[in-house]
Amino acid sequence: MAHVITTEGLVKTFGSTRALDGLELSVTEGEVHGFLGPNGAGKSTAIRVLLGLLRADSGRARLFDGDPWADAVTLHRRLAYVPGDVELWPNLTGGEAIDLFARLRGRFDRTRRDELCERFDLDPTKKGRTYSKGNRQKVALISALASEVELLLLDEPTAGLDPLMEAVFQECIRDIKEAGRTVLLSSHVLAQVEALADRVSIIRQGRIVESGSLAELRHLHRITITVETAESAHALERLAGVHDLRELDGQFRFEVEGDHVDDTVRALAPLGVRSIVAHPPTLEQLLMRHYGDETDAPSSDSAR
Amino acid sequence: MPADASPSSTTSRSDRLAGVGTLVRFLLRRDRIKLPAWTGGLGLFVVYLAVALPSVAATEEELRSATQLFADPVGRLLIGPGYGFDEPSFERFVANGYGLYFAIIAALMNILLVVRHTRLEEQTGRAELIRANVVGRAAPLTATLILAVITNLVAAVVVGVAMVGIAGFATAGSLVFAVGLAATGIAFAGVATVTAQLSQYPRAAAGMAGAVLGAAFLVRAGGDMAAEGGTALSWLSPLAWAQQTAPFVLDRWWPLALSIVFAVSTIALGHLLAARRDLGASLVATRPGAHEASARLGTPVGLAVRLQRGNMIGWGAALAIGGLAFGAYTDALTDAFLDLPGAFTELFGADDLVDGYLAYMATFMAFLGGAYAVTAVQSLRGEETSGRAEPLLAAPVGRITWLATNLVVTTVGVVSIMAVTGLATGFGAVLVTGDTHHIPDLALAHLNQVPAVWVVLGIAVLLLGALPRAVAGAWIIVAYGLVVGTFGPMLDLPEAVLELSPFAHPAEVPTETVRALPLLTLSAIAVGAAAIGLLAFRRRDLETT
Repeated sequence: MAHVITTEGLVKTFGSTRALDGLELSVTEGEVHGFLGPNGAGKSTAIRVLLGLLRADSGRARLFDGDPWADAVTLHRRLAYVPGDVELWPNLTGGEAIDLFARLRGRFDRTRRDELCERFDLDPTKKGRTYSKGNRQKVALISALASEVELLLLDEPTAGLDPLMEAVFQECIRDIKEAGRTVLLSSHVLAQVEALADRVSIIRQGRIVESGSLAELRHLHRITITVETAESAHALERLAGVHDLRELDGQFRFEVEGDHVDDTVRALAPLGVRSIVAHPPTLEQLLMRHYGDETDAPSSDSAR
Repeated sequence: MPADASPSSTTSRSDRLAGVGTLVRFLLRRDRIKLPAWTGGLGLFVVYLAVALPSVAATEEELRSATQLFADPVGRLLIGPGYGFDEPSFERFVANGYGLYFAIIAALMNILLVVRHTRLEEQTGRAELIRANVVGRAAPLTATLILAVITNLVAAVVVGVAMVGIAGFATAGSLVFAVGLAATGIAFAGVATVTAQLSQYPRAAAGMAGAVLGAAFLVRAGGDMAAEGGTALSWLSPLAWAQQTAPFVLDRWWPLALSIVFAVSTIALGHLLAARRDLGASLVATRPGAHEASARLGTPVGLAVRLQRGNMIGWGAALAIGGLAFGAYTDALTDAFLDLPGAFTELFGADDLVDGYLAYMATFMAFLGGAYAVTAVQSLRGEETSGRAEPLLAAPVGRITWLATNLVVTTVGVVSIMAVTGLATGFGAVLVTGDTHHIPDLALAHLNQVPAVWVVLGIAVLLLGALPRAVAGAWIIVAYGLVVGTFGPMLDLPEAVLELSPFAHPAEVPTETVRALPLLTLSAIAVGAAAIGLLAFRRRDLETT
């Protein structure tokens, strides 16, 4: 599979803040790639560098087969971008803004544009200044989704949308995936990423700390197992790779590292298993593993 | 609009005004820079006139002939009924020659103040935060009007003290003038109170109040032109009442009763309208716009035209109307030619005073054309920092394409505005003199200044590319040109100081004939600066806030 986006050791500083600190990101053709991290981790900065709006201080970035800074205009014909904070012109209607962006990009599907307005329940005849944040977001989304481009760069595209619109959005992204197009989806709505993404990259303080398919990531992390056994399972505590064993209402609950699951299940079998439930780690657990410490000591990092 | 139709039946008076005291203190805190700036500015205007006038017209004879310029019908059109101009003094000249412009500044100050604290707050949603607390329904508007009254009283004190204490004018007349100024200001606070209820948008609300101000100017212009001391038509204008007190001449107070009645009725009407509508709603319904973009909008140049159109038409119309008035002034100037103070002949610097005057007007309009160019580049900077340029540059639109198309539209705008203004000035001159050659002469004179305006534009673009935070620095060129070009000849400034201004280089048409070399040099400087700006813009990060 060809790489649509590759960055190597990308660094971008704003004054004394290192917004990107050696970013290594790769997105392959045809995938929906989840780009995860809280505000200030560097997601938007990375996307702006990929768009040639910001110039990286060092490192290498490739978009398709071009340089995002030098070949910006050529590359932009093949992509559509939805910013996290959409600003519209106060005296242009939403419909005019949708058409403007789509026409500037080139190929654009008129019927699909009207159908999308319908599906997203957007009135395109209103002036930009009258739209709420959610509706401004819809304008940028509809314009991007109606354009026939190979890559969508979406920076928290559903931040202002309600759950119904979130469902419409997910349908649209699935259609795009089926058509073989590529999506970089920056988000902190974990359910959205879990539902849509083939692979995810987790960014922290300008670096990718984890990258892979959800299955791979889960494998690398602990599984939570809850068992009810005839005999006491206290002895499991001594097994390698087993953590946090607790007894609760006659059930045992513990976490086990991905590559020790086999040993643990063998050790469980002789104890007389009455019931067993195993949970893979949720995306939230994966993310909290990297960010857990920040809840104690909030980071002063203010990069965007 | 379902708000409560009969507020007084459901809410007691004290509830409707709950929190006014706190809000007034809050508003004073928010306006802690603006209030002293506006009122201090009015005071400085008095000081400036008190210092400048004696230096322009040193003797009573010179003052008398300068006054003559303003006493004829076209002069009265621009300044008011012209009380006391048969026996001019400096205090009469300030109060009755410039009083109208003090009143216009006060009116603008009040319109902006009221709209800023009412409709803008509602549009941004900050009013919602305030109103969700223990704050009565009428409290924010009432607090705003209390702030307006305080501001106008401060302005009256500052102006009064400047007139009596610094300029040494008579106390009685100064008091009438200062109180008249405050009364006019409050009257326009009343106008804005009404217009703020009419539209959902602060700009439209301020625009409607501005239109009332414009209409008030035109009505009294018509009335004052017809006869000295004004006619019945003058009395229909809220701008006229303070002028009719005739400070330092009649010193009568009763016309201000009209201002007070007008202010009280408009404020009452505004409160009534406000009580009958929902928060954020308006009495003028919003119309749906275009469902889809017209074919022209889908290109960078189409968008640039669409976004710059309003600013361009606004400046063009204002300059053309100004030009028409200045042109129509030509005849009065010819009559007064022989007795004018020497300072004027130096300013217009010619043996033929009419041609000198018209040449100076072309330069003066070029200063304003430069101001237009700077605002156009500043709004491009606004497009960048607001984040509206970002999705465009994320589409296949290059940096240079985006900036260059906008630059081309502004460049064409400069030419069109100067041409239209030249034609209007010429037309005004033809109206009073009957010499049709003024039209082509003045069109040429204004176009002759275009390359100087381009230099301002080019340097503004250079700043946008290389030092984007300093774009406003381009105003320095305009201000420098205005000050040096207007006062330089009188002050005998060295040649090098005068020639630093781009506006000093084109030939003084129609006094002189067009010289190509300075025009080509200025154009080359403009192109060079713009080119460096474009390249620098291509190389830097896009800044969003």
